[in-house]
Amino acid sequence: MNILLVEDERKLAEAVAEGLHGEGYAVTLSPSGEDALSSLRSHHFDLILLDVMLPARSGLEVLGDMRRTGLKAPVLILTSRDSIEDRVLGLDAGADDYLVKPFAFPELLARVRALMRRNLPAASSSLQIADLTLELDGRTAARGGKRLELTAREFDLLEYLLLNRGSVVSREMLAREVWKQVMRYTPLDNVIDVQITRLRRKLDSDFQKKLLHTVRGVGFVLREDEP
Amino acid sequence: MLRYSDVRHRLTLWYVSVFGLVLLLFICGATLLEYWQLTRQAYHAAIQDIETAEGLLAFTPDGRLVLHEEYHNHPESILLLDRYMEVLTPKGQVLLRNDKLQGQDLGGSPFPDEGLLSYHERRVRLRDGTRLLLISHIHSIGNRPLLIRLAYSSTPIEHGVLQFLGLLLLAVPPALLFAGLAGYRMAFRVLRPLEKMALRAETITASDLDQRLPVENPDDELGHMARVLNDLLQRLQDSFDNLKRFTADASHELRTPLTSIRSVGEVGLQRLHTPEEYRDIIGSMLEEVTRLTEMVDGLLSISRADARQVTLHKTTFSALDLAREVVALLGLLAEEKGQHIQIEGEANLFVNADRMVLQRGLANIVENAIKYGPGASLISIHVRGSGGYVDISVEDRGETISEDLRQKVFERFFRIDASRSREAGGSGLGLAIAKWAIEVNGGSVSLRAGQDGGNCFVIRIPVVSQEAKASEEKPFHV
Repeated sequence: MNILLVEDERKLAEAVAEGLHGEGYAVTLSPSGEDALSSLRSHHFDLILLDVMLPARSGLEVLGDMRRTGLKAPVLILTSRDSIEDRVLGLDAGADDYLVKPFAFPELLARVRALMRRNLPAASSSLQIADLTLELDGRTAARGGKRLELTAREFDLLEYLLLNRGSVVSREMLAREVWKQVMRYTPLDNVIDVQITRLRRKLDSDFQKKLLHTVRGVGFVLREDEP
Repeated sequence: MLRYSDVRHRLTLWYVSVFGLVLLLFICGATLLEYWQLTRQAYHAAIQDIETAEGLLAFTPDGRLVLHEEYHNHPESILLLDRYMEVLTPKGQVLLRNDKLQGQDLGGSPFPDEGLLSYHERRVRLRDGTRLLLISHIHSIGNRPLLIRLAYSSTPIEHGVLQFLGLLLLAVPPALLFAGLAGYRMAFRVLRPLEKMALRAETITASDLDQRLPVENPDDELGHMARVLNDLLQRLQDSFDNLKRFTADASHELRTPLTSIRSVGEVGLQRLHTPEEYRDIIGSMLEEVTRLTEMVDGLLSISRADARQVTLHKTTFSALDLAREVVALLGLLAEEKGQHIQIEGEANLFVNADRMVLQRGLANIVENAIKYGPGASLISIHVRGSGGYVDISVEDRGETISEDLRQKVFERFFRIDASRSREAGGSGLGLAIAKWAIEVNGGSVSLRAGQDGGNCFVIRIPVVSQEAKASEEKPFHV
């Protein structure tokens, strides 16, 4: 999977590139719009990450050029302005998704994954990790064969964590995907923390092997092995 | 400075012009009155003279009419020397004509009934151009009716009046000069407070906004203006102070997580750590980054609202539904503290607002109530209609905030107890954001003491009719 990252902030670009590389993606860095366009002419990319605030030409203009030259790959724009205008303009110009800076890396990873598997068939009706199983149709969860009594929210939360098993999910992602809130704000963060604590109690307290882990400063992850 | 003296000059000019005009009108009136009075006096003298002359007229035996000689010894003879006199028969035959007339006729042939019933006054002109004031009277001498005409020249009167006029006019320039000086001085005195105010205002800068304009007389117009400007300065000073405090607070609040990040990072690098420890160090730094990000986002929202750059997506929804939604979202937090949230009210009160923004505002207020309410206490939310508004009240049983601090809780970074609320995880922006979120939706929020102790936040939003609910939702720009 080849990703083209168009970002002029070198430090940020390198950090993101390394993070994506760690997840098994091949990343090409491009510090300007012109550079990106010439890279596109010679190589194939599965996904473009495009900063809106680029030197010389704005990312949105570059995006317009990319689409005109027949680029089909999904484009995720990175904008530092949390304004609806930027998003709308970006989506109008042919972007598939947007992410507001400063973003959490797990969030970027989740978006990248979502764009990559956009055309894949829907997931199966049950999810599993270690001895934890989730039946999506009946909305039941069991660990070690013993049924877990979960509230609707706890089930949604567990489902989302399970869908992203092995990867860290941030509070932003949970707020948007599980609580269905457009904006993330402090009270909601506290709610998420409490909810995670409760879910962990039901999920892990009776078992030697812990599944739900907190990654300090980043978010939460469901995985078998200890970090 | 030129401007003020301009006003002063204009005022003086106006004053002098009006004064001069009035003075001229007065002079004309006085002159006309004088002329009329002198004319009346002349006619009066002529009538008396005619009566005297009548007594002195007699026919000689040969039928000639004569005026007795001793007449000239009359004490007023000087005046009488100027007298023009003619005696005629009613048919117009001249019987006597004095020397002063030098053979010219006085008033021509008589008109019917001239002087028959009373003394008749009129103005005539002799052939040589002399203007006269003429009295005619019919008097019988020896059973013969005679028309006696007696006249004085009006020239002395005209001279006198002209002299009078001249004297008065002579007084005009000094009077105008005096009035001008007095007016100028008055204008100067009246405008002096203005000049003082201007001088003071020139010295007031952003750094010494505590200065005020001088108020000479608080009851007059200039005093009123000075008070109004002073109020303006007060408001300016207040907002400057607010801004200064905000800048200081903001840099302090932003510096706190920055300092933590730096210290944690520097200390982390001092010696080698296990991967586990490094993970903890980086995580700790990231936590502070999250705090910083939230703070910057919050500040950005509020300052955008200040600059009226918020795009709202307004829809119409039930206020009670919104409250229920928030409680469903945050109920978990109350549950953790053993608190119970009671919610009641009318379901058919609709508001037109950006649901997400308003929800955020209400959520911040409810979270505040949960955070500062004691454990196992009650939090009551009421949704009530009140005139054209819907009031959403959130009442907790926490420690009542004293009255003088109630407005301040909505200020950015305001904390009643700094250390405690930072421990509680507050950014100091929660209620400021709530206020912003409610106000951009056309509402207001206030704080009062709760009925059973504690605090009661009241959100007031204009209510819309149910018909409006049916209308399509469309984006709305503020």
